Amino acid sequence: MNNLAIALFFTAMLPAGAALAADHAGHGKVGMAAPAAASADREKKWKESLAKPSLAVGATFDENARLWLAEFQGQHLYVSYSDDRGVTRSAPVKVNAEPENFLGDGENRPKIVARKGVIYLSYTQGLAKPMSGDIRFSRSTDGGKSFSAPITVNDNREIISHRFDSMAVNGKGHIYIAWLDKREHSAAEKRGEKYNGSAIYYAVSDDGGASFRRNDKIADHVCECCRTAMAVDTDDYPVVAWRHIYDTNTRDHALVKLDGKMAPARISRENWNIAACPHHGPSLAIAADGVYHAAWFSNAPQQRGLFYAHSDDRGKTFSGPLNFGNIEAQPSRPYVLGLGNRVYLVWKEFDGERTAILGMDSADGGKSWHAPKKLAATADVSDWPMLIGENGRAFLSWNTGNEGYRLIEIIMGNQ
Amino acid sequence: MRRHGLLTALCFAIFSIAPAPVSAGQEIKPFVRGSYQKIVAARQGKPFVLNFWSLTCSYCMVELEMFKKLARKYPNLDLVLVSTDTPEEEKSVSATLAKFSLGKAEAWVFADSYTERLRFEIDKKWQGELPRTYFFGAKNNGVDAVSGKVEQDEAERWIAEQYGH
Repeated sequence: MNNLAIALFFTAMLPAGAALAADHAGHGKVGMAAPAAASADREKKWKESLAKPSLAVGATFDENARLWLAEFQGQHLYVSYSDDRGVTRSAPVKVNAEPENFLGDGENRPKIVARKGVIYLSYTQGLAKPMSGDIRFSRSTDGGKSFSAPITVNDNREIISHRFDSMAVNGKGHIYIAWLDKREHSAAEKRGEKYNGSAIYYAVSDDGGASFRRNDKIADHVCECCRTAMAVDTDDYPVVAWRHIYDTNTRDHALVKLDGKMAPARISRENWNIAACPHHGPSLAIAADGVYHAAWFSNAPQQRGLFYAHSDDRGKTFSGPLNFGNIEAQPSRPYVLGLGNRVYLVWKEFDGERTAILGMDSADGGKSWHAPKKLAATADVSDWPMLIGENGRAFLSWNTGNEGYRLIEIIMGNQ
Repeated sequence: MRRHGLLTALCFAIFSIAPAPVSAGQEIKPFVRGSYQKIVAARQGKPFVLNFWSLTCSYCMVELEMFKKLARKYPNLDLVLVSTDTPEEEKSVSATLAKFSLGKAEAWVFADSYTERLRFEIDKKWQGELPRTYFFGAKNNGVDAVSGKVEQDEAERWIAEQYGH
């Protein structure tokens, strides 16, 4: 913290170009061109925002029904577990020994996977410049007692945006991480050219997370600030979904299987034309029967709100989208989970006084749905909802400022 | 932490004695429940533009640059700028508005961390994407909501319609 404070101090003292000092103090990396006073001010604001507490919690079950939770506290990521569905928890274990800044809003939650005794983590570290970050990875091979020193996964080390990570581990123990990356944007800027949006990249580790291979680009021109989503297909290849930029500013969704064969396919055609990034990314699940399930948000003039669709042909084509949620109640942050034929959706709504998590389910692979019902509510700030499955049962994982962390089982149908 | 606090305080002290770009006395009003209704009621059916922006939104900066040009070209334009940042960031907010020569616009900053509640009063159909701009026509004759950066020619068309330029 003191380093940051001193960096801020110097930033304030020197009228221009001082942000370079901040960068060196914080990360020992070469900064970009000297910014003007107003951008120094933006950097100061950015640094303050990095210190804000985060409500974002990453959650997963392992094979023994143990719940694993990852959350940011101050400048450390902590992991704890619960054997009674979140009622009591183990003492949290610190992941990063060296303090770091985190990007910990709901679009940037820490990702956690627990498989065969190994705990895998990915998250986005916040760097000194506005909207800049690095993708970090750590693992525990001793059942969560200790964690490896985090490594940076992106092999471009400019202080630019590498953010919005998603992670999946397949049956072979290969770890895939995808993220949004502004290296093309940065290179274009240096040539005096324009580059629309970000690129999306991924990297794979085939040594259990000791190291990651070189970064590969998935696609150019994707929406800059929306979460990415990843799920593993039944053939062990991961599938990545993101908000793409079609044409100049049509920001609908795309997905691709990272099998080296599939070309990115379009999930949605709302044709939302927006010269901005809505900070509202998709959710993707692949059920054991190989059906893909996707949920997303759009605010196109004719197609507003939340949408769900499924694909029976491995993402090549999707069913006509189902529009769900109460459009008069700010429906947002959809999350989908597929457990065989059973599919679950949760999302946020706000009724004027309280934020609720609504949920609905389908018993026929997403073809028909039971009526939505309210699963939980709060009267103040809250995290985005997420769903996790355990032995055929679905749970809502949700953290709120007032009530704290809650794990709520979703019971099928309309009881 | 105490030391850190002192350093932060020093930063602010130095900021305030440095030749500040902040124009003297642009009031940044706290935007709370009821503020939206106040903004609308105060205008009694006169045309105005209500824009929501944030310090961390790069498209918002491009849009503020456009508002700077519009404000210069159309001095009558009634512009209300609401930052969705926090009251703690008031100095950064006013410095940014000063940078874009928007010191004369009516300026507000979100002063309730429960932003869903603020957004609900403004527009139930707004999920927080920025920038978000509302064009209020004369005599409450329709409101156009735009998510994302507004095209300058569209804004000018609206101004011509409403203000007869």
